[in-house]
Order: sequence, then structure tokens, then C-alpha cells
Amino acid sequence: MIVTKDLTKQYGNFIAVDKVNLNIQPGEIYGFLGPNGAGKTSTIMMLLGIISPTSGEIELFGERYTPSRLDLRKRIGVVPEKHPVGMWAWMTAVEYLKFFADMFVVENAEDRIMNLLSQVNLADVANKKISEFSRGMLQKLSIVRALLHDPDILFLDEPISGLDPIGIKQVRDLIISENREGRTIFVSSHLLSEMEKICHRVAIIFRGKLMAEDRMDKLLLKLSRDREIHIDLEEIPEGIVENIRKLDFVIDVSTEKNRLKIKVPKEGDYRKNLSEFLIKRNLIPIQLKERSISLEEAFVTITQDNVEMLAGVGGEA
Amino acid sequence: MNYRLNSTGAIAKRKIFETFISPGFYIALSIGLLLGYFVIGGFVDSIDSSGLNYSLNSIYELIARSLSGAFGETFVIKLFAEGPYLFALFVSFIPFLFYLAISSVFKFGFEKKVGALELITYGPADGTSYFLASFVKDMVFTLIYLMVLLVFFFVSALINNLVLGPMFFYTTVMMIFLSFAFYGYGVVSSVLTDTASSAIALFLGIALFFLIIQMGSFTIVSGYVRNLSTVLAWIIKWISPVFYLDLGMSSIGYGNVPMYLLSMLLLLVLTGGLLLISHLILKVRGVRV
Amino acid sequence: MKNMKKTTRKLSVTLILAILIFLFALAPVFSDVPVRKEQLIYSILAFVGKEYTGTFCRQDADTFYLMADVDNFITIRKTLVYFWPITQDWKVDTEALNIPFEGTLIIEGKDIGKKEIKQVKYTYYNAPGEYEVNWKVFTGKDADKEWQKYSKIVDAYWKAVEKYYAEKSKYEAELTRLTREITKARDEGKDTKRLLAKLKTLKQPKEPTDKAPKYYVKPVEKAFVLNLPVGEYSVKFINKDGKVMEGSEKKIVVFGKRRSNGIGYDVIPGDKWTRPVQSATPSSVLYIDGTTDLYLRPYYQDEFNDLYYNKMVKNDAKGNPNIMKWVRIQQVPKARVELIKKESSSEVILEKPYYVQQTQGSSLGYKIVPFDPKKYEGRQPSLRAFKVPISRNLRSLKFRLQDKNGKYLSGSDREIRIIVKSNLQIILLILALFPIGLMFIVLAIRGRKYSSG
Repeated sequence: MIVTKDLTKQYGNFIAVDKVNLNIQPGEIYGFLGPNGAGKTSTIMMLLGIISPTSGEIELFGERYTPSRLDLRKRIGVVPEKHPVGMWAWMTAVEYLKFFADMFVVENAEDRIMNLLSQVNLADVANKKISEFSRGMLQKLSIVRALLHDPDILFLDEPISGLDPIGIKQVRDLIISENREGRTIFVSSHLLSEMEKICHRVAIIFRGKLMAEDRMDKLLLKLSRDREIHIDLEEIPEGIVENIRKLDFVIDVSTEKNRLKIKVPKEGDYRKNLSEFLIKRNLIPIQLKERSISLEEAFVTITQDNVEMLAGVGGEA
Repeated sequence: MNYRLNSTGAIAKRKIFETFISPGFYIALSIGLLLGYFVIGGFVDSIDSSGLNYSLNSIYELIARSLSGAFGETFVIKLFAEGPYLFALFVSFIPFLFYLAISSVFKFGFEKKVGALELITYGPADGTSYFLASFVKDMVFTLIYLMVLLVFFFVSALINNLVLGPMFFYTTVMMIFLSFAFYGYGVVSSVLTDTASSAIALFLGIALFFLIIQMGSFTIVSGYVRNLSTVLAWIIKWISPVFYLDLGMSSIGYGNVPMYLLSMLLLLVLTGGLLLISHLILKVRGVRV
Repeated sequence: MKNMKKTTRKLSVTLILAILIFLFALAPVFSDVPVRKEQLIYSILAFVGKEYTGTFCRQDADTFYLMADVDNFITIRKTLVYFWPITQDWKVDTEALNIPFEGTLIIEGKDIGKKEIKQVKYTYYNAPGEYEVNWKVFTGKDADKEWQKYSKIVDAYWKAVEKYYAEKSKYEAELTRLTREITKARDEGKDTKRLLAKLKTLKQPKEPTDKAPKYYVKPVEKAFVLNLPVGEYSVKFINKDGKVMEGSEKKIVVFGKRRSNGIGYDVIPGDKWTRPVQSATPSSVLYIDGTTDLYLRPYYQDEFNDLYYNKMVKNDAKGNPNIMKWVRIQQVPKARVELIKKESSSEVILEKPYYVQQTQGSSLGYKIVPFDPKKYEGRQPSLRAFKVPISRNLRSLKFRLQDKNGKYLSGSDREIRIIVKSNLQIILLILALFPIGLMFIVLAIRGRKYSSG
């Protein structure tokens, strides 16, 4: 659906986006992650046709995309992070949506507007001035606006930022339900836990370079530097930590109350070896589990600790 | 389908509606008409058995003395040769022209700053659609205002047995094209700057520069002064909308209709050039602040 | 005694104060006493379209202005120049100092290249006939000839006049003497027949049949005659020693008329005949209050650049460089005014003599009445004009000019409109404020829409 080839944006001597290759498949929820200044906004702006790339290409719906391709832009829906403050304060929600419906040439606009407003529980305030809307209402209104023309792909920039828990759930459900109906969704967010919940694939950008782009589970696996096996015992006998450390596959061991935290290489399954080792010493593991890394942790790892390693696993950068 | 054209239409429709429901439009309209009212009323009060006698109305005397002192007696004679309407047209129309231009420049800057312009361009529109819509809105309101002004002047002419002379009508038509060029400069100012205040400052700077240069050339002097270099003066002349107004009006004064039509065509060319420059600037600068 | 002294002292103080105030009041006058400075000037006799007008280009001025394709006369002289604050004008004092220079004028311009001009004798005169303006210029020997011819006519006329007055005086003396003698003889009872017969034969001398010339020929003088095409020129004066005279380098702007033979009118209101207004702009409208008739005097006019023309007439004048102005040249001879009250009906009026008659009785003022030669025997008409009757009921009236052959003169159309100072003016105020009312309605409708949301 969206393919970029060596997408680059340069401002003077500063390279904001450096030969980024993205591949967004139809029907997926694609997460786009990166800290401030990583080149995330520049990439999105290029994908939306707001700014032109310095070099590289964007292919949208199988066609070469440039900012002048207004026909292709018509097939995109965009929900920006914030509704512009003070914009068209005199407008009612219906007038606001009607304006965009006119621009996108939406048929049966009034019915569609009311349908969508009902879906996000805004039908009661359809004739209320948008300047009187709360942050959450404005966010929902933005989503309605982005969906008005039934776009093939929906771009959401920090869609749940600043929303209360109910609002977050409503928006999350809406994204998932839109995706179930076959709509491709491109989400950029800093709320990584939320991304983990909804995204099929994620791309991570850092210092203009794409560090990783993969399926959620694979990426988590790739991003975990080592694996950690947690074993709960009734009590931890003396010397056991040292003995475990001597095992050739063990990288490190630490304790936390009655729990042994054993770091092992990420390739291979060492749970059986550890279980046998403990049983031989008459120690019965109450619980043995391998702890997986969360995306939030992975992101921190990537951006702050070991970029070189990631470049290797990311494969694209 | 031409998406830019469609978006321009949709944005223009919104802008027109926005102007219609904004108090500023009605206040500017009333101020323009009130100025016209005072000019016409003062003129009627200044008529005696021999014609126009400025000393009969203190405001008119002040206006006539000021104009005469600055531009000479011949200028004043020509200005009132058909009656009060030519002067009333300038006095009523120019403030409204500036109101429209400045409000558009302000809106452009404001909507760019808050991200509204960017939001519009997420759809099948670009910065060019936006400024074209702004331009269309200004055109529509210019025509509406001129029609209101014509009706107002016509009623006043009926009441006071005055006449709207040919020079007035020729100038009214010129005013339409003159305002287009000014709106063009408003667009250029908007796309060149990042904030509403700097855009307004730039626009006012450009507009006042042209007005002062043109008024300066009409000021009475004791010798023909050429302060600017010939090349600079030549350039300023051709990019100044007011120069074409002068060209058109003096052509009509001389009975040269083809030159009058040409001056309007040149104003259109200037406007087109300004819009094209704006399009190119936007292409480079984008709509994001 | 004490009181008297006090009063005297008070009076003295008051007097001194009054003198001081008077001196203070006079101070600006004394401070503005013009300073005369010796300057090299160009004296210019410029043809300004209808006549020759004299002006001068002082040393500080860098340009002088002339009309194209007509003879203008320039001389270079040293004189005293001063600024006269009362009229805000520069003036020359040629009585105190006037040294004309002889030499050559060098003029350079695009079309003429470099041209040397020598001083020549010249004269000119205007001999009006049917048209007011009929100027003739003569240079060199022709100037002398023309001057001699004119001098002869003038001398002959004056001789005839002198002779007439001498004969008249002799006749009057003889008449007086005979009348006295007859009276005396009659008183003494003597016969008066012889004396009466002599009185009858006494003939009154006849006035000279040769009339004085109706024109004035300027005495022959020497000057540089400049007749240049439109353009800008540089000029300098080379003195007898072959050197450029310091301060003589100037620029000449030579300009033409943009349009000629336009028609303008002197419009004389019946109640202010000494204050005519001019209607110079073609197709303009003359708004009046309709209280008095109008008298029109049509004239030909030419159109010039405002600044150039003003500076040609007076080199230190101001003007608008971007505006053209109409200048009255001469009256349209034997014209007729066509009054058009409605599109279908028109009336032709002719120029007639009028007399301004003082109003009898307590009310001051005057009225313009048709001039009756019998009634006003020995008097001249006050004005000759086309009378346009005006009444308040007349809303508008158009007029235009025909020449002596009845041909319409282009640019002569004008319209008179009788202004209506009506109470209906309030309608305009209401109309002007109407948008504010509309604003409240729109805001109310919007407010209702929001509240329904």
C-alpha cells in the first residue's frame, strides 16, 4: 500500500530522514515509533505529501506519489495529534464536517456525518460550536473527519494522547473495528503499550535511520538482547548462585527474594537444562518462566543503549 | 476531476460563509458607506449659485485645502469635475479593500500557525487551493461591496439630483482590478512569512510603499525630482497596482479607451504573476510553520 | 497733585508698553527685509500659448521650461535677486543692477545635437482679428523694418493727434474770443452782424481719421531666440572671451500641448458677476443651487502638463508633474450655445451684451440686465455672454457649443444640475447604518443555531 525507497529529507546539512525504506501492507495496523527529533514527523509529512523528499521515492497504492498528486491524497485520512487550537471556532461540528465533506466530495454527506458522529457518541453535540468541545471530543471529531470520505489508509498521529481511559478505549476499539473492515492504519504514537496492543507491525526510526521494521512478536524477540529465566524456589541455598554461574550457557545470575534471575543467550531453550541442574541438587522449582521484553522496554533499549546492534537486527537501516 | 479547483471552491465557500457571519464585515461595510455619506453630504452643502464653494462646509474646506496643498488645484478640480462620487469612491472603497486584504492576510497567517492550513492540505488540497480560495473570497466581497456602494451612491444621486459620471464608472471597474492586484500582494506576503503579524506588516509595507510612491509622484513640486534610480523607478512602476490605476484613469481622461483596457489587462497580468510566484514559494516553503 | 503724578506715571508705563508691543509686532517685518544678491540669471520671455510672459531663472534654479515649436526670447544678465516674503516670490531689482551679456548660447539635445545660437534683434506683436491670439515674431532686419513701420504709423498718428489738439485749442480760443466780443458789442448796443458772420464761418477741427494701432509692437531688442522641439536640453553661455560663464549651465525642458482646441467656459452667476468660475474639464457637471441665472463665456483651451506650464509662466512656481491642466487661450468667436433641456428639444442662444445695474433703494446689490444702447447711452456693456436661464424646478440642463457655421465643437458638452438639499438625506444615513443592523440579525440567527446544538 505504501512503499518508500531510500526516502531522504535533508534540511541544509542536517539529514532528518536517511534512506528510509518502509513497506506498509494493505489491511495491517502499522506502528511508527521514534523519539522526538528522530525523523518521524518528517517521514510522515513526506508520506502525506505535505513536504517533498530530498531524494528517494514514495509509492502509494501502487503509484508514484508526489505532493501534487491530489487524487492520491484523497484516498488518505489523517488524524493529527491535536485539533488546531482556535481554528474555525465559529463552526458547529456539522459545519466543520460538511466543509471537509465538500472538499472530499462525499456523497450523502449529511447522513454519513450523522452516522459517524453517532458511532463516537457525538451526535448530541452536532450543532454545538467546536470551540466548546473538550480535548477528547475534538479527537473523536478529528477521527470522524478523517473517516468521512472512507479512505483506504488512515494515518493517526498520537491518537490517544491526552484522552481519559474511556476515551482511549473508544478510540482503540474504533481503530480495531476500522481495521477489521479492511482499512489500513498507520499509527504513530509514543504510548508504546498501546501500540503493542493494536499494531501488527512496527517500524522504529532513530536519528533519521530506520532501526527496525518487523512483526510485533519477531521484533520483540529481535530487540531482546538476552533472555531472562525466572525460577522461584522455596528458599535459595548458599552457593547455588555461584554454581549456576559456572554453567557454560549462563551469562549472569541475580536474586530477588526467593527468585533466581538467570540471564541466558537469546538463541536456544535452556529451561530444561536449568530444571535438571536444580533437581540434581534436590531443589524443586515452584515456578519457572521465561520473561519476555515489552515494546516499551525494547524502545528504550534501542534508542538509548545499543544502536549499532539494532542496526544489525533491524536489517533495513 | 480537478481536485485543486474543487477544494478551492469548498474552501472559498467556507471563507465566504465565515465572512458573512463575522461582525467585521458589517462594520467595515457601514464605515465605508458612512464615509461615502459624509463625502456626498459635504458636497451637497458646499454648492451655491456659482457651483462648488468649499468654504461653505468646514470639513470640505479642510479636505479641499489639504488635497490642493498636496496635489495642486488642478487635481482637485479634476477630482470633483463630475461631482462627489469619484472622491467618495476612493474614500469608501480603499478602507474596505484594506479590511478585506488584511483580514485575509491575518487569517492565512493564523491558520498556518495553528495548523489549520496543514489540516486542509491533508486532503485533496494544497496551499495553492487555500490562497486561491482566499483570493476568490476577496474577489466576491469586493464585487458585493462595490454593488452595495453603487446602490448607495445611486440612491444618494436620486435624492440630491447628483449624477454618477462616466469617469466614476470607469474608475469603479478599475477598482475591481486594482483590488485583485492588492489581494495578490496579500497572498505573496502571507506565503513569504510565518506569522500573521509579520505577514500584515509586510503587506502594509508593500501597499503603503506603492501608495506613497504614487502619491509622491502626484504631489506638487517645485521641480521634477527623480530621487530613485531610473532602473528602480522603472521596476517599481510596473509592479505597482496604483501605477496602472493612474494609467487607466489618465487614459480615460484623454479618451484613450484601448489604453484603459490595456491597463486593466496589465493589472490582471500582475495579479496572475503574483499568484504564480506565491504558488512557487509555497512549493518550496510548504504550508508548515 | 499726587494723584496727577500717579496718573502721569501710569500713562507713561502704558505708553512704553504699547510702544514695546508695537515694536514686537513689527519685528517680523524688519527681520524679513529681503537680502539682495548679485546673480547671473536667464531672463525669459516665453510664449505661454496666448501671450508672451516674462520670468527668470535664478542662479540656484537648474532648469527652465519652454513651450515647443514657438519662438522664445532669452537673455543673460547680472542683476540683484531677492526673496519677497509678502508674496513668497523671488524678484529681480534691475534698476539697481542690470548688466546684459553678449556671447553665444550652446544648446545640446538628443534631436538637435550641439547647436550654437547667436543673439539676434527681435520684435513681436499680437494683432487680434477674429481670434484673440495672432502673434507675429520678426527677427534681424525684419524686426527693424517692422519696428520702423510701426513707429511711422505711431508717429503719424501722434502728429495728427498733436495737430488736431493744436487746431482744437486755436478753435476754442477763437470761439471764446468771438463769444466775448459779441456779448460785449451787444451790451454796448453795437452791431454784431459782422461778428456773428465770423462766428458762423468758424470751423471745428476734425478728429484725425487715422486711428491708433490696436496692437503694440515691442521695441527691438537683442536676445537668443529659442524655438525647439519637445525634449530635454542642456544650455550654457559662452561669453565674448570664448569661456563658459560660471553659473550659466542649465537644463531646458521643452514641452508641447497634449490636446488643443478644447472648450472651456467662464461661468458667471447672476448674483456674483465678479466671481466667475471656470468649467475646463470636458463633459463635467456644474452643480448649482439654482438661485440665479448663469452667463457663459466660451473659450478655446489647450492642455499642458501642470508642473511644466506653471514653471514656464513663473520659474519658481510649483505644480503637479503627473497632471494635465487646461489653459484658457482665447474666446470662441461668433459661437452659439445649444441648450438641451430634454433629449428631443434644444434651443440655440446667442451671445448678447449685458449691463450690471446697481439695485435701487435700501437693498444693496446689483442685477444683470440686457444692455439697451439707448437707455445706457455713452456707456459700454458690462459683459457679453450667453445667458442660461435657471430655476429651481429645473433639475438638469445640458449645453454644448456650435461654431459660427453651426458645427458642434467637440469637448464643449457640459451639464448643469440643480442640487436638491433634501430632508431625505436621513435615508442615506439609515442605509449606511443598515449593515450594522444586519450584523445583529445574523449574530442572533447564529446564536440560536448554537443554542439549538
